[in-house]
Amino acid sequence: MSDQSKQRVTLTVNGEHREAWVFPHESLLDVLRDVLGHYEVRYGCGEGVCGTCTVLVDGEPVSGCLLLAVQADGCSLVTVRGLAPAGDLHPLQACFLRNGAAQCGFCTPGMLLTAWALLQHDPRPSRERIRRELVGNLCRCTGYSKILDAVEEHAAEAAERAGGHG
Amino acid sequence: MAETEVPARQEAYRVVGQSPSHHDFVDKVEGSLLYAADWQLPGLLHGKVVRAEVPCARIAGMEVSAARALPGVVAVLTAADVPWNQVLERPTGGLGELAVAMPVLAADRVRYQGEPIALIAAVTAQIAEQAAELIDVEYDDLPGVFDPERALEPGAPLVHDQGNLLVSWIIARGDAAAALAAADVVVEGEYRTQRVEHAYLEPEAGVGWVDTSGVITLRVSTQVIEHAPTIATILGLPQSKLRVISTYMGGGFGGKEDMTVEPYLALLVWRTRRPVRMVWERQESIMASTKRHPFILRYRTGVQRDGSIVAQEVDIVGDAGAYPYLSPRVLFAACATASGPYRVPNVHHRARAVFTNNAPTSAFRGFGAMQVTFGYEQQMDRVADRLGLTPQAVRERNFLDKGDTIPTGERLDTAVAAGQCLRRALAALGEPARPSGPGRRIGRGFAVNMQPYGRTVWFHDRASCWISLEADGSLLLRSGITDLGAGQAASLAQIASEVLGVPLGEIGVHIGDSQLTPPAGGTFATRQLYMSGNAALAAARALRAGLLPVAAELLGAVPDDLVFEDGMVRERDTGAGRGIRLAELAAACQQRSVPTAHLGTWYAGTGTFDPATGQGASFPDYTFGAHAADVEVDTETGQVRVLGYAAAHDVGRAINPLRVEGQIQGGAYQGLGYALGEEIVVDDGQVASTLLASYLLPNAADLPDVRVIVVESGEGKGPFGARGIGEPPIGNPAATIANAVAAATGVRVTQLPITPERLLAALDAAAGDAR
Amino acid sequence: MVAAPFGYQRVSSFDEAVQALHERGEDAKVIAGGQSLVPMLNLRVARPEWLIDINPVGAGPIEEHGGSLGLPALTRHRAIEESEVVRRRCPILAEAAAHVGNVRTRTRGTLGGSLAHADPAGELPCVAVALGAEITVQGPDGARQVAAGDLLVSYFTTTLAADEVVAEVRVPTLGQRSGWSFLELSRRSSDWMVVGVAALVELDAEGAVTAASAAVGGVAERPWLVPAEVLLELFGEAPEQALLARVAERAAAMVDPDDDVHASGAYRQRVAAVLVRRALAEAAARATGNGSGAP
Repeated sequence: MSDQSKQRVTLTVNGEHREAWVFPHESLLDVLRDVLGHYEVRYGCGEGVCGTCTVLVDGEPVSGCLLLAVQADGCSLVTVRGLAPAGDLHPLQACFLRNGAAQCGFCTPGMLLTAWALLQHDPRPSRERIRRELVGNLCRCTGYSKILDAVEEHAAEAAERAGGHG
Repeated sequence: MAETEVPARQEAYRVVGQSPSHHDFVDKVEGSLLYAADWQLPGLLHGKVVRAEVPCARIAGMEVSAARALPGVVAVLTAADVPWNQVLERPTGGLGELAVAMPVLAADRVRYQGEPIALIAAVTAQIAEQAAELIDVEYDDLPGVFDPERALEPGAPLVHDQGNLLVSWIIARGDAAAALAAADVVVEGEYRTQRVEHAYLEPEAGVGWVDTSGVITLRVSTQVIEHAPTIATILGLPQSKLRVISTYMGGGFGGKEDMTVEPYLALLVWRTRRPVRMVWERQESIMASTKRHPFILRYRTGVQRDGSIVAQEVDIVGDAGAYPYLSPRVLFAACATASGPYRVPNVHHRARAVFTNNAPTSAFRGFGAMQVTFGYEQQMDRVADRLGLTPQAVRERNFLDKGDTIPTGERLDTAVAAGQCLRRALAALGEPARPSGPGRRIGRGFAVNMQPYGRTVWFHDRASCWISLEADGSLLLRSGITDLGAGQAASLAQIASEVLGVPLGEIGVHIGDSQLTPPAGGTFATRQLYMSGNAALAAARALRAGLLPVAAELLGAVPDDLVFEDGMVRERDTGAGRGIRLAELAAACQQRSVPTAHLGTWYAGTGTFDPATGQGASFPDYTFGAHAADVEVDTETGQVRVLGYAAAHDVGRAINPLRVEGQIQGGAYQGLGYALGEEIVVDDGQVASTLLASYLLPNAADLPDVRVIVVESGEGKGPFGARGIGEPPIGNPAATIANAVAAATGVRVTQLPITPERLLAALDAAAGDAR
Repeated sequence: MVAAPFGYQRVSSFDEAVQALHERGEDAKVIAGGQSLVPMLNLRVARPEWLIDINPVGAGPIEEHGGSLGLPALTRHRAIEESEVVRRRCPILAEAAAHVGNVRTRTRGTLGGSLAHADPAGELPCVAVALGAEITVQGPDGARQVAAGDLLVSYFTTTLAADEVVAEVRVPTLGQRSGWSFLELSRRSSDWMVVGVAALVELDAEGAVTAASAAVGGVAERPWLVPAEVLLELFGEAPEQALLARVAERAAAMVDPDDDVHASGAYRQRVAAVLVRRALAEAAARATGNGSGAP
């Protein structure tokens, strides 16, 4: 297709098959929110620097505000609500809660997704490594320490669970 | 004078002092919390503010017909469409205070870049943008003034006809001039602080609609629902027809304390009779939303050779931008606290708020009392330097203590743990590191501050909270409080739980609705724990007092022997013994016509202040704290790396320790951004960059963890002896870093932010002087 | 926040892309990673009539050919950062890629896109110039080779015609007794550089310099290659601090950077001298160290 009219986009969001008719100029962020009802993906800057629109596309973190919805056709997306079944908390989310890692909560989904994706590549990252990976997720409330604490704690607990008890 | 260590607290609490999670935090972590932009209604329109592109001009003409004619545009409003096109702040009583009204939409004059001039409602955001581009405005540029000192000069262009000096404040005690003349040493310093942006991650946003009773309802991210009457006036509506509901905010920091989207959203809803959503673009917010006041601070500090301060003369000029907003109050707070946490027998502080054609400045965490820390704490280090004393010795010689008189003439009536905070912050840093390479210098610095909590006393502050015991034994709290993300709502539940023994999971808190919740006043001035906390405490205690005799009668016990715990009332120390569930108690009260609902109202102490003499009541109380840092300076590039950072504050009592730590860590980081990189650069009224990418707030990688030390003196005026902690931690970092850099290099940077370039220039200047 | 409408066309080969560009003319723009283009669309400062999406072209593996590596244009920064063969054979490229933006930028951003965007403060343009990278450009008349230094001419300006696309990038692999350094001064981690230097140094068995190159980003309208005659002073000498400092000062004296909101031109010039010296020193140390100096 090559024109300005609406195009059909099919994608999977949190395991669910979704479909939308979108104009080429519409961002994935706007379509996820206003068409598909995924308000947990948020607008913070439109420049790709704040991280509130972070969404996992085929497992990797992407700025939803910098991807056109038409570009996401055929992709598999995960938002923070896809980390665990509805009503449950992923252990990483539980660690965030226990550590007070969310204050206003606006950056939290982006933080969780980016941290979760990191842990798929590197299950026991150093605190420095976590800092660098989260550099594109801005937080104005917490000073980051409790977010780092939560990610480290989860990584340690997950490793223990994986390794079994001695 | 040595100050006594404050004793550790004796009482045992069940819930206060713990850090349980409240429901809003679960929702945040789940991603299910709906913020202001997350509200969908059928037929939702997109609202947009059209803004002036130039900072100072007459509007010679505005053509909106093309915009109105664009398919998909439902309304284009200009000044003529606003029934009451002015916002006038309540007078504060400051010297020479001008009454300057601000238009909702500029009619014939533009006074800052970004000033709203028109409103658009369209069926999509894209069409709204397109329509905005079709609005044709003809500007006749006028000479503007962009520097507050220039604005004070005779012959400067006038921002408003009444004059450029919005208000002055004086705080005076003793005879500063004479004392300075007689002092052994006088240290002078000039300091300049910059314009900064709140940069909450959630931009200004809201959705408005007309409800089934014809009430214009706004669901907005706001710290203050009490603007509702003002919005009603703008629309020419009775107050009962305008409702404001606050959402859990994605950050506020004072930037959502004044109205943001509210009046524009209300106008569009009122005119179109359709639901409208308005979300400000980040770049729009950076350009035009209110900012922190840049200050020019001039200090003359008179001391005796033994280090005691005899006089402090301070002159503060604050850039108020184009309209008043809260400038008079910010400059008052700065004036009142300009000498810091020290005994100063002779004081003359003058603070002036001056109009310019820059974007208006208003509330921002710290509210004037924050910027002055950069002044007084560098003065104290300079004094130490001049006298050959240690910075710590100079502080300890001069620290205020409980019972001392502060510059306003008031006596401090709560514990001052400043000394303890300082010692513990320094101790927490441990041994300083060694330089990591040639050309690197290490230095340690600290700063002590005093930040008011609670509103200025003569504003007769009050807050109400409603509590009711439901039939199933659960509690319902209703409060007009708004939640900034610091657990404002959760704290009320925790307090009620402590008093009535109801598990947190069985307490519902409903907040922030101008028509349904009792007024609590806005969330600012670090006042909510003090005000609404006390109101919730009062309501909970009233409820408990009403339930107790009924319970005693039913259990055949003495009221004093009964405790409220685990959702029951039972005899003390009987464990699982005789008791009555709150649900049963509720039913019993119902039968006896004993009320199970109470409205608690807390009135802050009042007082009067005489602006002419500069003496009288100011703030209810203060939070004292100290931060310390080790920095490494790369003398070839001027870069400053913070190696270690510690922050200690006396919070009175930590209601929720995890949240208290979070406030201190977050506030310190915001302060470090202020110290090292944040600045909104404005050239002749034009913002140099509106990109978030250009705004250098701290990310996760560059600064160390803030080590937090919580001191609990038990002597705060909040519930259970708590002191406010929202604002205090942002005040110390700038002076802490400046002092650490001076320790590392011998060079003092007196202008913020301490950029590598500025530091390099200071190092060059010092080297030049040395030759 | 919302882009102005445009037409959208997906292409699955460079030939198709070229054809589409040829047809649409100046009103069409290629979108690859979108990390630089889409912010401009969102702010409505870029208003192409057509977007030609070349993502479906994809990127094959990074291949080693004797003394060079061939990287398809659509290779994502993250792939370069994590590539075993790049880290081993051209580590300066992996290091530079790791500095580009944040993890999301690197997940989508592409090498070809970075070069076509030609940001004079971009990490990859800077390294490409230092390495003397060869870029394969595909146009309506076929493919041509152009050196990075000839491709990148000015602020966000290349010698690409409106109907040409970057198809592949070749970089030399690091030789024995070669060292590299990529140093960046930025206001915060992950920000664009204020000044950055990519340096390569080769030493002989006695530790004397036999080859050197350095490119500086952020000081001119394009990545600035330190002229050969300035670096000539190093040849045959041991790379000592005083010598490196002199060379770096001479290099920095030749640039006249602009002011911007983050730093003045004078500061940039000053920092350039510091970073060129430090980068040459680090490159020389790596050359002495373990031969190819893995990051």
